[in-house]
Amino acid sequence: MRPQGGAVNQMGVGMTERWRRLVGLFALIAALTFAVAACGGGDDEAGGTTTEASGGAAEKTFPEFKIAYEPIDYMDPGLSYSVQGWGIMWNVYLGLLTYKHVDGPEGAELIPGLAEDLPEISDDGLTYNFTLREGLKYSDGSPVKASDFTATVKRLFLIDSPGVGFFTGIVGAEQFAKTKKGEISGLVTDDDARTIEIKLAKPQGDFLHILAMVFAGFVPANTPAKDQSTTPPPGTGPYMVDEFVPNRRAVVVRNPNYAEIDGVPKGNPDKMTFTILEEDSASLQSVIDGTNDYSSHPIPVDRLGEVQNQYADQLKLYTPANTYYYFMNNRLAPFNKLEVRQAVNYAIDRAAIVRLYGGLATATENFLPPTYPQYKKILMYPHDMEKAKQLVQQSGTAGQAVTVWSSTRETHQKAAEYLTDILNQLGYKAKLRAIDPAIYWATIGNQKTKAQTGLANWFQDYPHPLNWFDTLLNGNRITEEHNNNYSNADVPAMNDKIEELKKNAELTDEINTEWEGVDRMALENAVVAPFVNRQFTDFFTAEMDLDNCYVNHVLYQFDYIQSCKKG
Amino acid sequence: MTQQATDFTLDTATELAERDHGPIEGRSPWYLAWRRLRRNLVALGALMVFFLIVFVCVMAPWYAENIAETGPNRTHLTDKVEVDGKMVDVISAGGTEQDPETGELRIKTVQVLGPQLWHAGGKYVLGADPSGRDIAVRVLYGGRNSLLIGIGSAIICTILATVFALLAGYYGGWGDWLITRVFDLIAALPVILLGIALGTALSINGFHHGPIDVESGSLWIPTLIISVILVAYVGRPLRGQILGLREKEFIEASISQGASARRVMLSELLPNIASSILVFFTLIIANNILVEAALSFLGAGVQPPNPSWGTLISEGQLRIRTAPWLTIVPGTAIVLTVVSLNIFGDGLRDALDPRAKVRIEH
Repeated sequence: MRPQGGAVNQMGVGMTERWRRLVGLFALIAALTFAVAACGGGDDEAGGTTTEASGGAAEKTFPEFKIAYEPIDYMDPGLSYSVQGWGIMWNVYLGLLTYKHVDGPEGAELIPGLAEDLPEISDDGLTYNFTLREGLKYSDGSPVKASDFTATVKRLFLIDSPGVGFFTGIVGAEQFAKTKKGEISGLVTDDDARTIEIKLAKPQGDFLHILAMVFAGFVPANTPAKDQSTTPPPGTGPYMVDEFVPNRRAVVVRNPNYAEIDGVPKGNPDKMTFTILEEDSASLQSVIDGTNDYSSHPIPVDRLGEVQNQYADQLKLYTPANTYYYFMNNRLAPFNKLEVRQAVNYAIDRAAIVRLYGGLATATENFLPPTYPQYKKILMYPHDMEKAKQLVQQSGTAGQAVTVWSSTRETHQKAAEYLTDILNQLGYKAKLRAIDPAIYWATIGNQKTKAQTGLANWFQDYPHPLNWFDTLLNGNRITEEHNNNYSNADVPAMNDKIEELKKNAELTDEINTEWEGVDRMALENAVVAPFVNRQFTDFFTAEMDLDNCYVNHVLYQFDYIQSCKKG
Repeated sequence: MTQQATDFTLDTATELAERDHGPIEGRSPWYLAWRRLRRNLVALGALMVFFLIVFVCVMAPWYAENIAETGPNRTHLTDKVEVDGKMVDVISAGGTEQDPETGELRIKTVQVLGPQLWHAGGKYVLGADPSGRDIAVRVLYGGRNSLLIGIGSAIICTILATVFALLAGYYGGWGDWLITRVFDLIAALPVILLGIALGTALSINGFHHGPIDVESGSLWIPTLIISVILVAYVGRPLRGQILGLREKEFIEASISQGASARRVMLSELLPNIASSILVFFTLIIANNILVEAALSFLGAGVQPPNPSWGTLISEGQLRIRTAPWLTIVPGTAIVLTVVSLNIFGDGLRDALDPRAKVRIEH
């Protein structure tokens, strides 16, 4: 057995201890200062307290954080697979591992969550051993057991979770996926000793990151194996979901049973109300009017200048690792022909699409975003409408009916309308089908829908090329429901390469070069048509303290729980 | 002295008139109605306005092809257009720039081409939307779609309502009971809610049952939905009229002379309710255009990117603060169309049967 990242861990613990002492000292000073200020009749509108944080932002509690939010797919850690769902739930459902709540690349650093420590990993990379922290409780007060991990993973298979593909590498998981009965032999737990042993069938380079995903967030063993969005199960994070009304609101409050974990702050707002608004302009206006404290929506293109000029101090611009692309179902006509998929790649004018986003995007042909070390710019499909038309003629598919799928989110629909226009120019009978954002991904991810083409995007779950190519383009991971491979891309050579690279625990320069090749292979086969990497905005009221309490996490973006108000 | 009795008969006035002005020709009720209508200049003016709107919308493809040189759904994100001799971006590049003082990244203002009236040679008369589409072209095509749906659904709705009213009113019995209950059921549900429910369901997968095969996104979907949800509002009053006519002597006489049911319905009853049908038809077009606009505004009618006045208002209301004309222009078009049709409909009703109380209520 070899200890995984032991040196890092020891240093981490040492650092944490020093920080803890420092924080304690600062907290004491801050508390005394606050007490003196309070005696002097200081005005504290927020009614909270201020201390120094151990993470990236100050600790300054306040009663309620009101958020204008985008539609959420599910409020069930086993089913949600959206930035909106995870943005809330990574603070509600902790797994064995989690990420530091800090700005910048350091936020991608794995830290122990419910586990006492990072795992011990066998020399062959097949066995992971964890020990749970002592005295852990769910938000309802019930004890956290080691066997809950097994139940959590089994539940993913029972509910056809979009995350099942991450766990099929566990010994016995594939069999359980087929029968949905019995046990997963690769999961061995001992509730008394609080130990969890995970055995993999073959090495998996990203498995630690997988254990930090929301899918792996612990839920009690008796959680029903069906969508629990409206009655979310108790969790172990600093917050718990108090109420979720689909397409209306989510209310998240403090978890009274949260045992503080280093690197996962207790959070500042006592309560967070996420009001779901579909329209970007309504969301922006709700913050300008003061109805909400923060808008997670992008700012409408025609109001970017106004917001920059009038509210520059309340605006944050950031670039998460993301790629927007058109999926083209490789199994269905006309996109089952390479010429057609290449034609779409030639026909779309990526520079033009950038303007749909007010210029807050960069045109791209790569599937992997430029923030990755494995990224090497691809220039394979210059905008060439004539060549695209020739390819369509060669394919003999002109005149066929094509349905372009999109959610009704304005930024999605505009890009899908653009593709519809392009397909019509190429000679197809294209029409748009725009549906509610809350059901969009589940709908196009269901093979019964037979979605031909449409808009898709991806924001990294964890910083590893596997999260892009294995999750989205590996033909071996195509599922009937909650399929993430919307293109049904199934190129044997690419599948084999992904499977081969998956076994490597380390991302060496050599391996990175191999991943560059996979990115290129995806585009040579035109399994998708990537078009932009977007920039995003966070917009707040003037009351919010962005100098001290703004943390934009590399994976989960703005960390709501670390927000605070001025004064 | 006795007073001589006057020889007074019913024909005296006629005889007098004939003596003074020559023989009086028999006039059909339709001619008399037309004579009354043509004296109603407000109604005729309204009709002219409606015809003008229809003409302008019918000419949309010609305008789009020869003047605007674009289609209703064609995007022009990187195009430039000549305005008063200068080349101007339809949509400016936007993006970010570095503040020369602070060095921080600033977001650049994005310029979307506003209304050009005739400064760009007939292009972008009403400006562009954020996808670079020509709003004027979309308004005209949107009008075509709204009018097609409004008139098409009015034709279907009126035919269905007339057929059901004739069957129910003439035959009575269980057939009448069934048709009346169906009308009651439809009328019991709020028109817009029923429209949204049907529109949302059918806009996803279309309608594929038996011989009917309608794809999602087809204009037939809102047309048929509006026809069905409003059929009761035309059918019920027509049935009432037929029930009244059914007891008249001329119907009894026709039946006693051996006329078939079809003949009685088509030759006796139908002509007697024709004026009401005509008035209903006129009024229901206006009503249907409003319902279409409401359904499309709520996403249950015409599906984007295809325009209708309702979808254009829906798109426009997102940027009502920065480009109010995107909402005002299609909104004004709806108001003009509906008001002109209602004024004409009222005039037609007065001309055909001033005592009739024909109106659409829901």
